[in-house]
Amino acid sequence: MVVSGLRSAVHVLTLALGAAYMRGQALGRMRKYGPWLLATLLLGLGWWSVAAQELSLPNAQNSVKFAVIGDAGTGDSPQYEIANQMTQFHRKFAFDRVIMLGDNIYGGQGPQDLVKKFSKPYQALLDSGVKFYASLGNHDDPANRKYPLWNMDGNQYYSHATKNVRFFALDSNQVDRRELAWLENALKSATEEWKICYFHHPIYSDGGTHGSSVDVRVLFEPLFVAQGVSVVFAGHDHIYERLTPQKGILYFVEGASGQLRRGDTRRSAMTAQAFDQDLSFMLVEIDGNRLSFQVISRTGATVDSGSVQRRQDRTER
Amino acid sequence: MTRHEPPAKSRSRRLARHVSGFVHDYLIALPLGCAMALVWANTLPDSYFQFAHANAFFVNEVAIAFFLGLITKEVVEATLPDGALHPWRRAALPVAAAVGGVVASIASYLAFVQYVGEYMLAGGWVASSAIDIPASYVVARLIFGRHPAVPFLLLLAISVDAIGLAFVAVVQPAGDAHPIIGLGLMAVAIGAAAALRRRGTRNFWIYLIGPGTLSWSALYLAGVYPALALVPIVPFFPHGLRDRGLLVEPAPEAHDTLTQFERWWRFPVEGVLLLFGLVNAGVPFHGLEPGIWAIPIGSLARPIGIVAAAGVALLVGLHLPRHVGWRELIVVGATASIGLVFALLFATAVMPLGPVLLEMKMGALVTIAGAGLAFLTARVLHVGRFGP
Repeated sequence: MVVSGLRSAVHVLTLALGAAYMRGQALGRMRKYGPWLLATLLLGLGWWSVAAQELSLPNAQNSVKFAVIGDAGTGDSPQYEIANQMTQFHRKFAFDRVIMLGDNIYGGQGPQDLVKKFSKPYQALLDSGVKFYASLGNHDDPANRKYPLWNMDGNQYYSHATKNVRFFALDSNQVDRRELAWLENALKSATEEWKICYFHHPIYSDGGTHGSSVDVRVLFEPLFVAQGVSVVFAGHDHIYERLTPQKGILYFVEGASGQLRRGDTRRSAMTAQAFDQDLSFMLVEIDGNRLSFQVISRTGATVDSGSVQRRQDRTER
Repeated sequence: MTRHEPPAKSRSRRLARHVSGFVHDYLIALPLGCAMALVWANTLPDSYFQFAHANAFFVNEVAIAFFLGLITKEVVEATLPDGALHPWRRAALPVAAAVGGVVASIASYLAFVQYVGEYMLAGGWVASSAIDIPASYVVARLIFGRHPAVPFLLLLAISVDAIGLAFVAVVQPAGDAHPIIGLGLMAVAIGAAAALRRRGTRNFWIYLIGPGTLSWSALYLAGVYPALALVPIVPFFPHGLRDRGLLVEPAPEAHDTLTQFERWWRFPVEGVLLLFGLVNAGVPFHGLEPGIWAIPIGSLARPIGIVAAAGVALLVGLHLPRHVGWRELIVVGATASIGLVFALLFATAVMPLGPVLLEMKMGALVTIAGAGLAFLTARVLHVGRFGP
């Protein structure tokens, strides 16, 4: 963490110097400092590119590996930069699926938007055989649940599994009786050890803009608690946050894979860790009863990591 | 313009004496329920949402059927001699204006949803077309007194909401629906109501327990909003020969089935309305999306659609009521921008629980500002109590 923090600081400094150099050139005032600034920038970037992208996950051979992105689909360069980081990490941590926490496409939702805001940024991962499993956010067009690359098969909510893990992609936008009945049955009948739910609106969040969606919480949480859900991922707030376990369940907010609300975290007693200074995505590994996670920023820096035992309240750092 | 209204100072008191107890109850119970819900949801959200979700089905899909039954009763009576909808051709221009209002509301709603990119809201377009009949009626009476613009507004509001209710029946989210069984059961319910009417059955309880229950079950099975259950049944209730006016107190000597139904259900419906406000109006002020403005935008566009459609209707030969000119029409349109409880009702009918519904609910509550718009428009145009 110390190294990654230092790396982030250097990276931010080099970017700032680079920006100052550009501005100085434009104003014609700082030209004499230009070579020094440029040298610092190049050295910093070089060191960053070599030192970044450290994997802190166990990377066991037969473990379940997946990535998590939320609120990603802007089609702007920051989304592409996160996608590039995901590709870099995929080379050393071969996750086979990405779960998407909604707001997968912002703005226009046409075929060209799906290319610009999804298939193009993640092209390298798609080409490597990585599958994306989406849940939808309030900015998504419901019709896109038929988009084949999101593997929703036209469903509003569905589940998928690998090895000892079953994922439940839920619709938190509109929760009707049928979805709750389906979820209860699906959770009850799941034989996998790990039950992981993900959807768009966080039922626990310290995001200043949205915060906890209490109306969704009272619908979902009793089922999560009763049916042994271990981990829940959500987006919507454009920050990363790990919360202290609530009723034995570990909650993550990852809504900053394309959009960012800098400084939007309102830390509270339930904040375990938060990062709101840059975009981020998550890598997760499940090996037996242990889940490990690593949160990576746009610069490749690790901004949070740790592991947790299944259905245990204490996160080991 | 000929002035019909009494002096402005006494108008509110006169209005209070003339409108029905139903409207009085409506104006007390609903705001009380809404205010309680807003306070509760923003102070103890966990317990509020547990309460609201636990009671949503009973209130929104069962109990509110009696409120809609009372509204249907008003419409049925309006079709009687002396009623606002008698003969039907009198309603031609308000119906035409209503179509314009509905089209403008829905188009603006969908355009705004597209603009802010909150596509999940698109499925709730029906709610943008709703007009709160009692609230807009009271505002119109306060502005116009007993001017012909008031029945015009009521016809307009009823037409708009009738179109909206038809949409609700059509666009209801499909569930594990059994439309054929539902349709068959509805035919049985209507047949039973017609048979009771033919036999001269006057006890409204028999209509409610028999055909009413069948109708509710039919709609539920068909995946249609079941609170509409009494809408096809109430027209079969035996009724008086003439209408005393929309939303006015029934005559003391009236003992027909429709009147008995209103007298018995008025106070329970007051409780239902309180519960409706309590269960549905609780929206956290924190963390709302721009989508909350979708319904208000639709409501604001409605006056434009109403005036434009009325203009087209006039061009093809229809006529405005006497003493209603363009200025009055514009004020009527502004008054019709109050969606409030009917917008809440339509929203809960077509949108499942969750954050998207919360945005729509807040939008519905915001349309109360339409009352201010109506008064402002009337003042600017020197209409009604603001006239010369």
